[in-house]
Amino acid sequence: MTGTEQTVVLTTFADAKDAYRAKDLRQALYDEGEIVMADVLVNLHGEEHRARRRVENRLFRRETFDHYERDLFPGVIETTVAPYLAAGKVDLVHLGHELLLNLAALTAGIDRPEGTAAETERLYAYMMRFVEGATLAHSTQDKDAQRVVIGQALLDWDAEFLTPSIERRRALDPADRPRDVLTCLMEHADELGLTHEVLRREVAFFLLAAAHTSATAFVRSIDHILGWIAEHPEDAPKAAGDPLFVQRCVHETVRLNPSSPIGKRRALAPVRLRSGMEIPEGSSVIIDLMAVNRDPEVFGPDAAEFNPYRTPPPGVAPFGLSFAAGMHVCIGQDLAAGVVPGNDVDPDNHLFGLVTGAVRYMFTCGVRRDPDDPPVRDANTARPYWGRYPVLLGGDA
Amino acid sequence: MSYTASVDKTVCISAGLCVAEAPEAFVFDDDEIAEAVEGHPGLSDEALVELARSCPSGAIRVLDADGNEIELT
Repeated sequence: MTGTEQTVVLTTFADAKDAYRAKDLRQALYDEGEIVMADVLVNLHGEEHRARRRVENRLFRRETFDHYERDLFPGVIETTVAPYLAAGKVDLVHLGHELLLNLAALTAGIDRPEGTAAETERLYAYMMRFVEGATLAHSTQDKDAQRVVIGQALLDWDAEFLTPSIERRRALDPADRPRDVLTCLMEHADELGLTHEVLRREVAFFLLAAAHTSATAFVRSIDHILGWIAEHPEDAPKAAGDPLFVQRCVHETVRLNPSSPIGKRRALAPVRLRSGMEIPEGSSVIIDLMAVNRDPEVFGPDAAEFNPYRTPPPGVAPFGLSFAAGMHVCIGQDLAAGVVPGNDVDPDNHLFGLVTGAVRYMFTCGVRRDPDDPPVRDANTARPYWGRYPVLLGGDA
Repeated sequence: MSYTASVDKTVCISAGLCVAEAPEAFVFDDDEIAEAVEGHPGLSDEALVELARSCPSGAIRVLDADGNEIELT
């Protein structure tokens, strides 16, 4: 506690869920990342948030996800992985971002008219700058210097990718415009009071959020599954052949490794949680997701362990609160992680999520660690990211 | 079917989970805000409570036959 400001740390699942739903607790996770995150969806509150979320939610419906998962993404995975499969090796961190960037660009509405690898590499470089911006709070680098570079990257990306994408849509008959975030925002810009600068950050946010969070889940899921099947070789065939097993592994991975290790809120008024915990007005609330998602009261005495056969109690998602809850629940949750299967799941009509599809595909390609090139953590951030994760593909698995 | 459901339209963020999970019991209005269909067809009382619990914005309210609000946490 410093001066009049108090910090309240929540470590139980019940308190965290309650806090996420409290209307007087405002998003504060991205306060240091405003260079990219100012006025974007996840930073809005109250009516302003509700109005934009309602407009954007129209794009994030299950029929759209179904189209991505069954029609669009299998081809994207195959095409993206093919050169690495031929080479017999790849860095999973780079592949994950490249793979998910291809989908994120479609969802966000960033066109790549050249269709070249060089063009995708340039977009990839911009996106990684935006990731730096959004996670600036956890940076271990000179943050002011980073802000200058990231601000310039936003302007350069706007000139090279965003403005041409806007002009292309303006030239089309409204009925022929692609159904993506950019089109949606252009059509509702007046109603939502969007300036070009806010639109720029919102589209950049969708690009980074869709690609980066899924890419980190992709790498971590493969890491956990490789560890699991080393201990449980009888499950090895399931990694390539049983999408429900892979989805369970993805959910368990996301529970243990939330995209952000904390949630953060600021109290706009005094809040009393159901447990009786009092949160004073003006205080900062830290939701310790690493602890919350390992709450033994909810996930059992082995909550800290990876176990794809874990069955959480009714009303608790297998991925815990990694996608948050309440007004800021992740808009792309079902797209990334699919729908949580019930007991009567029909695999032919089930949404497994794009991360599940990508992870499972890698196991059909014989993904395995490279014994001569072990994975290393990313030293540029306090977040537990892999910096490099070299793997071998094809050949003798 | 003794429980009744309602959607607080000032809270709903149009996430659409209720409409996707129980299309007979919840529909979108013209502004794509969810609304409950009377009698929540196709959903048992227990399933209705579970669905209300999973609403991301907490916009669904469930009352028992005596008009008492069901605790959703």
